[in-house]
Amino acid sequence: MIARKQSLLFVLFVMLLAFACQKTAKPPDITLQYEIVPQPPRVGTVIINLKLTDRNGTPVSGARVDLEGNMSHAGMSPVNREAKEIETGKYSGTLQLPMAGDWIVLVHITLSDGQKLQRQIEVSGVR
Amino acid sequence: MDLLRTPLVGRLLRWRHARTLFQIPLLLLSVLMILHGFFGPSLAPKNLATTLSWVHFRGALVLVLLVAGNFFCLACPFVLVRDFARRFFRPVRNFPRYLRNKWISVSLLIAGLFVYELFDLWSSPWWTALLIGSYFLAALIVDSVFKHASFCKFVCPIGQFNFLASTISPLEVKVRDHAVCTSCHTKDCIKGRRDPVSPLVVIQRGCELALFQPRKVGNIDCTFCLDCVQACPHDNVGILARVPASELTTDVMRSGVGIFSRRKDLATLSLLFVFGALLNAFAMVSPVYAVESWLAKLLNITHEAPVLGVLFVFVLVIEPVVLLAIAVWLTRRSIDKSPMSLLVRYSYSLVPLGFGIWLAHYSFHFLTGLYTFIPVMQSAAAELGWQFFGTPLWRLTGLPVSTVQALEFGFIFLGLLGSLLVSFRLAEADAPIRPMRVFLPWAGVATILFAAAIWLLSQPMEMRGTMLGG
Repeated sequence: MIARKQSLLFVLFVMLLAFACQKTAKPPDITLQYEIVPQPPRVGTVIINLKLTDRNGTPVSGARVDLEGNMSHAGMSPVNREAKEIETGKYSGTLQLPMAGDWIVLVHITLSDGQKLQRQIEVSGVR
Repeated sequence: MDLLRTPLVGRLLRWRHARTLFQIPLLLLSVLMILHGFFGPSLAPKNLATTLSWVHFRGALVLVLLVAGNFFCLACPFVLVRDFARRFFRPVRNFPRYLRNKWISVSLLIAGLFVYELFDLWSSPWWTALLIGSYFLAALIVDSVFKHASFCKFVCPIGQFNFLASTISPLEVKVRDHAVCTSCHTKDCIKGRRDPVSPLVVIQRGCELALFQPRKVGNIDCTFCLDCVQACPHDNVGILARVPASELTTDVMRSGVGIFSRRKDLATLSLLFVFGALLNAFAMVSPVYAVESWLAKLLNITHEAPVLGVLFVFVLVIEPVVLLAIAVWLTRRSIDKSPMSLLVRYSYSLVPLGFGIWLAHYSFHFLTGLYTFIPVMQSAAAELGWQFFGTPLWRLTGLPVSTVQALEFGFIFLGLLGSLLVSFRLAEADAPIRPMRVFLPWAGVATILFAAAIWLLSQPMEMRGTMLGG
């Protein structure tokens, strides 16, 4: 009986180890640089300019970039907008920020090969 | 009207396990909030811990207090965990005599308000989850060491908030017929009932907060636990309708509470309730940042804590001291009473206005973000792989700001009206011939605070965590 329990524990341990050692999909190595206009940001229209580059510094073209602005306080609806590619690897989008305060913009990026990644931009002190 | 005698609700509330029935869903919800706070998204609007705590719980709490009574203490999940733990170990100590007052709660409330602003608790699911978890732990530790409901009566800041706010509630747990109590010898409502064979076994608890029903006045310290309802062998305790705030106009000996005008701790708690409401609302509007930046420059400080400290001292100490000292000085020209006794007595008259401000502030978040829990729930379910709730409907928010703002002003105006009525009744009792002379200084204080609240809530909101240089 004890031997059976030990065997069971061993199997569970091996399964746990195997699960822990599973390779997870590595997110693509993309660098995001951004610029927010105007500075300091104000309530109303805010332009977010983004530049995507890969690990070699080559501009990343053909990606779909969605902007999602959230307030730091719960209970508010997010504002969403797609950023369009205006130059190779450069994207630009506008968000309508309805309230002053701290905003957090999530940048949802879908690369041309279908890989997805997300970055976060803090837009603090919107007046 | 007696809620316990209404057909469906009354029957449910009279059921022996009614409290547990209300506590279980809140306990499950609390566990869900803690788990999501720690392991869910780090963005406050996408997390159950922050959304349910700071938008829905607070709003629902004040609205239920306004239309009914202290039913959140009735459904308190912290007490459910405590009761479960007490099956295994029974506390033997009494809460220290010198701490049997509201000073711990006053300190914790100030600390809570300060920490809330300093660490921007509303914007952090992780800290919110930690706060909820710590609350469970604190209730468990205090009530594992000390007998009765020591945590509820002397420690819990939420409980104290509810006690004060419930003085404005239209319902009160009270005796139906005092003549029945006169002939009662067992006093089960406070002593409880024990097994006649094994006297150590409690069959039914009496009031754990030391409120003896025949001499209980008002809702202060009453958690609506309904133990007294269950314990009374004569079925003589009900949840009765009453005039809101009427308990603030009487100054009689109250069981388990004492006389209001002799309770400096309770009066301080009341003042904190009132001025804290202004402070909490002030921190959410644009002018606060201008004031804080100006203060930081003036004091040559770059850290948030000391600037916030100065603001707290001004709003919670200097402002009340100046306003109330003037009111006391003017009142003493008509009544020959000590300044302290006047201060303590009339502090309670400001509670309705304080409640109005809390109500306006919390109901704003609640009503403008009413439906936001739906997409957050959908999103949380989707994270677990449960797609049956569908794609999160992030567009769902709540009522329009313009509609809610009208309600906000209405709540504050009602609060002012309540404060004016209470102070007039107190003035009538103190100076029956010329009550206006006593009433006017306190009406002046209430009106100044009312104007401040209206001004505050007319300001553009600014939900910020970064205070200096953000």
